[in-house]
Amino acid sequence: MELPPQVVDYLQSEFLSRTRPFCFHIDENYRLIDSWGHGDWCGLTGIEPAADMRELAPFLVGIPITAAQKFDFIETPSRAVVNMHLIPDDRECYVVLLDALHEHASTQSRQQSVNELRLMHTRQQKLISRQRDLISELVETKSELDHHRREAERISANKSRFIAMMSHEFRTPLASIINYADLALEEGTSSNDIQKSIETISRSARHLTSLVEAVLDDASLDAGHVELHEHDFDILKLLNDMAAMMAPMAAEKGLSYATYVDPDMPSRVYADEVRLRQVLINLLSNAVKFTVEGGVTLTATYNDGRLVVTVSDTGPGISIENQEKVFQAFERGDGRGETGAGLGLTITLRLVELMQGEVSLDSMPGEGCTVSIHVPVMASQDVPAANAPILPTPGDETIAAKPLSVLICDDDEDMIALVEHYLHRSGYGLITSADSEEAIAKTLKYDPDLVLMDCNVPGVGGVVAAKVLRERGYAKPIVALTASKLSGAQKSAFTHFFRKPAPMQELLTEIKRLTH
Amino acid sequence: MTPITSKICVVGDFAVGKTSVVERFVKNQFSEKYLSTVGVKIDTKEIDFPALGVAHKLVIWDVAGSDEFGPTEFAYLRGASGYIFVADGTRPATLAAVEHLHSQIGQKYGPAPFVLLVNKRDLSHDWSVSDDYLAALTKAYRHVYRTSAKTGDDVEQAMTRLAELIIDNDMRGQ
Repeated sequence: MELPPQVVDYLQSEFLSRTRPFCFHIDENYRLIDSWGHGDWCGLTGIEPAADMRELAPFLVGIPITAAQKFDFIETPSRAVVNMHLIPDDRECYVVLLDALHEHASTQSRQQSVNELRLMHTRQQKLISRQRDLISELVETKSELDHHRREAERISANKSRFIAMMSHEFRTPLASIINYADLALEEGTSSNDIQKSIETISRSARHLTSLVEAVLDDASLDAGHVELHEHDFDILKLLNDMAAMMAPMAAEKGLSYATYVDPDMPSRVYADEVRLRQVLINLLSNAVKFTVEGGVTLTATYNDGRLVVTVSDTGPGISIENQEKVFQAFERGDGRGETGAGLGLTITLRLVELMQGEVSLDSMPGEGCTVSIHVPVMASQDVPAANAPILPTPGDETIAAKPLSVLICDDDEDMIALVEHYLHRSGYGLITSADSEEAIAKTLKYDPDLVLMDCNVPGVGGVVAAKVLRERGYAKPIVALTASKLSGAQKSAFTHFFRKPAPMQELLTEIKRLTH
Repeated sequence: MTPITSKICVVGDFAVGKTSVVERFVKNQFSEKYLSTVGVKIDTKEIDFPALGVAHKLVIWDVAGSDEFGPTEFAYLRGASGYIFVADGTRPATLAAVEHLHSQIGQKYGPAPFVLLVNKRDLSHDWSVSDDYLAALTKAYRHVYRTSAKTGDDVEQAMTRLAELIIDNDMRGQ
């Protein structure tokens, strides 16, 4: 059924007034042939025939006009909004532009709301994601802080353990020094016993010195990071030293002490003597400490490059459940009532492991305890152990070759007295000074054959004094004898460097060599 | 100088700053207010290349933002000599949209010169595209610019580059 003519007329009139159609006819080169309607609303007025419509309506640029096409909502450079219809006519084309401004405005308003909502959602998502990141960052930071806290606690615990360990390590040689010093000072002690006491004191003091050196070396490292310093030494002498140190302690408690050494034991081995000594002292002192009656036995064997030292005691023994515990720091097995930090076996285990060795423990409650260390050790050339005193009387190698003078600069009177004693005995003339500036003056005045200089002395100090002397033309040897640790640059001020306590034999030999 | 006229289309996801980039390029203006584009917005701008003896008139079709093109959008692109793809450096998803549109257009109309603008570089506190990703994009798309319609950074350079690419493409008869 067709619409009544008056309705058609009405709709036509309504459509025309709303869309204001502007139609133009173009040829294949987009040139105007003819036009209908008013194009002023879309900026197309006064168009001359044959005008290039791509110039006037740039939205035609690039658009092929050979097919029917429709483009909605084209906002022109003159800010009109058109719906463009292309109706091809052979090689020519009719272009119909309809005003779509109102429709565009309402669509734009709807689209704007949708887009703004989508943007808001995106931003919200981003904020949520950022919040999540912040939360995970917080969690991470907290975990890092926890880690640092645990690390700080660990370091603090290590530090405490380290101090406790050192205290434990110092105790045994200190006890030996005190006891033997008391013995030497006792009225009626024979000169032979005094000599032996002094020898033991000297050995223990040297062990203490070694420990102090080790502590200083390790100070910059974490607790537990100990380096081995291996060298060739007399293992038989070490075992004898142990007997000399431990037998009196055992005897004091009424215990026997015995040492059995395998006849195949090489007399000299290549290992870290200080650490091995430390291990043996730990094992033996523990055995003596925990044994009430009976005795302590040390057995040493050497087989196929492995040194096995076994310390057995007749003490209370350790239950199986406590055998692992005794190797842990601050544990004392079955709580056997003895004092101490409970570090002996911990240190022993760590040191033996550092030596690539193993520790084994065999014990039952009431049946004593046997601890063995198995350490790979290289045997050195078989050199018989020297049966010499710890500090031999200086030999010819230390006696001055000709009348010579040495200037000693040290603010410690005892040290001056000691060095003076040895140098006098070796035939040197001496000049002493307790002040570095006075030492400079005396050196320049008396021109000694060698200057022995402490570094930490009043005045400008030993290092500066040595440099001043060089600047002022003193060309003879200047030897540092100091307790301080010197840097490379500081050492260069001296001809030679000795760290206190320096073995006198070495010092005298070096002085002779330098003044020869 | 020889006049050349080319149709170029600006495409990308919604609210990435396509209209602002065109406004900056054509009128050297910028508005903070966001006004979504419906349909397409036409502008023209002429760039002279004295060395080439060419006056290049660009008819710029600023197409409504979308991450997926349908028949209406494809109709707008018909006859385009080059494309400006625009993404928002504060919304990485808009780069994925650009990659998708690039592929869609390539399949529909074949290869054509284009530049890629990662816009809103002035929003540095909110910038979410890593330098590594940008480097990878540059490797893949060659002509990638970090632009700011607000400050004008690199907008002119990107447009001029596209105009050059189109001339170069025309000269090679493609």
